[in-house]
Amino acid sequence: MKDFYLLEGLKVQLKMEHVLHAIDCNPDSPVYEEMVDEYLEIYKDMEAFAEPVGILGVGSLSEAAATEEYPAGTKVVYAVLSVGDKIKQCSTEAFAKGDYVRGMLCDAIADNALFSLEDKMLEKLREMCAERNVGILRRLEAPHDISMKVQKDAWEHLKLKERLGIDITCGYMLDPVKTSCQVFVLTEDKEVFRAQHDCSKCPNLNCKFRNVEDRKAVKVTVRKGDGCRDISLEKDESLMDALIREGYYISAACGGKGRCGKCKICVLEGQADISSEDRGFFSKEELEQGWRLSCMLYPRENLTISFELNDESQFEAISEYRKDKITETEATSYNDAAKDSDGLYDIAIDIGTTTLAFQLLDKAGGNVCSTVSAVNNQRRYGADVVSRMQASIDGKKAELKESIQADLRNGISRLLKESGVNLKQIDTIAIGCNTTMGHLLLGYDCRSLGVYPFTPVNIRLTEGSMSEVLGMDGDAGVVVLPGISTFVGGDIVAGLYACDFDKNDDICLLVDLGTNGEMALGNSGKIMVTSTAAGPAFEGGNISCGMGSVAGAICSVKLEGAKANVRTIKDEAPLGICGTGVVEAVSELLREELLDETGLLEEDYFEEGFPLAKTSEGKNISLTQKDIRELQLAKAAVRAGIETLILRYGIEKKQVAKIYLAGGFGYRLDTAKAIAIGMIPEEFADRIEAVGNSCLAGVVKYLTADESGAEVLKKLVQVSEEINLSMDVDFNENYMEAMMFE
Amino acid sequence: MAAEIINEISEWLQKGRAKNVKALVEEALEQGIDPKEILNEGLLAGMMIVGGKFKRNEVFVPEVLVAARAMTAGITILEPKLVEIGNEPLGKAVIGTVKGDLHDIGKNLVAMMLKGAGFEIIDLGTDVDADTFIAKAEEAGADVICMSALLTTTMPYMKDVIDALNEKGLRDKYVVMVGGAPVTSDFAEQIGADYYTADATTAAEVAKAAIAERK
Repeated sequence: MKDFYLLEGLKVQLKMEHVLHAIDCNPDSPVYEEMVDEYLEIYKDMEAFAEPVGILGVGSLSEAAATEEYPAGTKVVYAVLSVGDKIKQCSTEAFAKGDYVRGMLCDAIADNALFSLEDKMLEKLREMCAERNVGILRRLEAPHDISMKVQKDAWEHLKLKERLGIDITCGYMLDPVKTSCQVFVLTEDKEVFRAQHDCSKCPNLNCKFRNVEDRKAVKVTVRKGDGCRDISLEKDESLMDALIREGYYISAACGGKGRCGKCKICVLEGQADISSEDRGFFSKEELEQGWRLSCMLYPRENLTISFELNDESQFEAISEYRKDKITETEATSYNDAAKDSDGLYDIAIDIGTTTLAFQLLDKAGGNVCSTVSAVNNQRRYGADVVSRMQASIDGKKAELKESIQADLRNGISRLLKESGVNLKQIDTIAIGCNTTMGHLLLGYDCRSLGVYPFTPVNIRLTEGSMSEVLGMDGDAGVVVLPGISTFVGGDIVAGLYACDFDKNDDICLLVDLGTNGEMALGNSGKIMVTSTAAGPAFEGGNISCGMGSVAGAICSVKLEGAKANVRTIKDEAPLGICGTGVVEAVSELLREELLDETGLLEEDYFEEGFPLAKTSEGKNISLTQKDIRELQLAKAAVRAGIETLILRYGIEKKQVAKIYLAGGFGYRLDTAKAIAIGMIPEEFADRIEAVGNSCLAGVVKYLTADESGAEVLKKLVQVSEEINLSMDVDFNENYMEAMMFE
Repeated sequence: MAAEIINEISEWLQKGRAKNVKALVEEALEQGIDPKEILNEGLLAGMMIVGGKFKRNEVFVPEVLVAARAMTAGITILEPKLVEIGNEPLGKAVIGTVKGDLHDIGKNLVAMMLKGAGFEIIDLGTDVDADTFIAKAEEAGADVICMSALLTTTMPYMKDVIDALNEKGLRDKYVVMVGGAPVTSDFAEQIGADYYTADATTAAEVAKAAIAERK
């Protein structure tokens, strides 16, 4: 462990509205335009002006800096950030010349630039804490929390003069003046991280960003169709959070971080600040029309907005799977079986990150009586497991649990209603899901999932009552299937079970083509599992015109020269493109040689992307260069994962007897196209089988098999060994290689 | 005619329109209007109005800044003429942030408003020690010494400067003004300063009044 860390790759990020707000210049100011002009003038040269540096180091408080609460010797982390002297020089020079506007703006920009470094610093601080198994008890800022002398301690301890050329004055001010120094008190309680600035303790009462008293209550009118509805915003609440709270379904794929653009709204009345994220997403015209990302919008006045509901409630959940070995009597009349009012039933549930699937099984015959699917409404907290985890850590743990419980209760009652079965007749409810979904359902703390060494709280087979797990009355027992690790969860174990990995002598490969790209290779004696962060591209995420597999999504593409013929799900007017559409489009572009083997589009399409179709409103649905890069990353992760697993297992590709592709994307995917883009090795072409929802299949098998499913699952977990690819040299090499289209 | 154009200069200055102010000052000079009148009745009068509005919360910092920028534009045209006719400023002020302290925004705004009140400003910057304050004030023949401090650790140095003035027997020669976030009028009194003001506009008004009293 090093005793100090220089922050690398620091970049200042300015928010114009913050800079202007800091000097009392709001959009209603009569001189707003002049200030903006001058701001942009300075902003042009920002790269040259700002020289951001930062350093963190562990130390202990000296006698001189000790406080009553924190005596000398208290373990602390000193953190110093600076934007250098140049920008401040500009301010001083401008004032000297009588250009007060420029002088004041340069100063405010320097402050804003300095604040913008804070995130990077906190990120490093988190890492340092994780490494040392400690937490942060409090943040101390001189002079109000602690003597200015502490800056001298920090200066000496971090050798600021030698390392960063930072001086200190006799008044203990760090020089350059736009340098900040924070002191973080460490604690052995590693759960605590109170490193953020606390406005309520800050004496700077005139600060324009003081965030203590209630923000002026703001009302937002949501206009949809002919109707209007008013919602009021709470303090510190983004518009997106308020909309979600009020029950609007917003698919925030990135979890409200301003990255996915799925939460866009249009401001019809009122002034809404433009965030830097907005500038990244919208054109100048769109901004003028009022388009904003609701996750980044903290309205300061009443607004009227509208938005297109990105209705993904019809997300097609795949509940199909190979049934041959599980329910041989598919033709049984379900209703006849269900009418037996004394009979007992089980329910199998697959909790996917995006969708949920439920099946009712009659206990006597093991037949599927009814199937229901639904959207996982936790999606509003982020599309992938990482953003859900983060949301849980950020205080939404209870909300996430309630969300999934409500979805499960809904699904169960729909299932019962459809088949006319009474809740009392349910014997067991078995659930298969990935580790994060399991943690969120069972209300476990997700913090350890996200940091090294990524230890789950509990992934053993877990039994509970309906009230405990689902928050509903009933006598049925609830079982959550066991997982292997944080990254390879119960859904994969269920998939292995469904695909007979417990019986096979032949070595088979199971690949779940989802965001987490879990895969398993082996037989009844030994299984190696891993996960590769494939990202959301297969589900249409991070693709400029991307969308889920819902009606109107382009799912198939054929090219004749540069002319595209597309097919959409349910043959509706095209709205966007889903994962299979992206794969098909790319494989076609390759075939037509409009894309080279490095993934570069023909120059003609470089700027605007390759047009595939038009929406009914005449807007282009295109595949951009960036979209192709996203797919490259995803497919390379999958391919490199497969190659590495095979290498580690010590076999050759021809020895893999069968390749099972799991998941909705794998089910719809044209495997020839997947091979064409190099996602799956060509050698596998004749042995690939799409198994659909193998998790659900495994849960059903657990409930219906004659053997003890619990024992088999336990054995599968026991023979499984996880490989961590992130540190694997071979994986990284394979990954780079698999990025190409060759 | 003269009154009209001077009034216009003041109006445009209050709106912060540097270009218009510059053009009108040039025009006024061409018409042979006394540069002193252009300065005092046009530029400075306009600036005082903006300062007053700022004090009453009728306008905010940005409006004052653009007005002051317009004032600079006008003065730049006027300056050679003023030198030519040997115009004396209302007074001279040395200003700086005291030793150990690098904050300068407050100090810069005070300098701006003093300039708007008709003072000639000798800005010593930040981290200024007692010897520099005194030497520069003597050299320029200043009337006012303005000190700024933003920290409790640097605030006491203001007393060091005043003590040094006393030692040299120069204290009564100058109006000494202090300001900055932690400074109070009690503190100003304790260390033997003449005036404490809470904001830049008041500082300019007080300095102007103090000079009038002396002369």
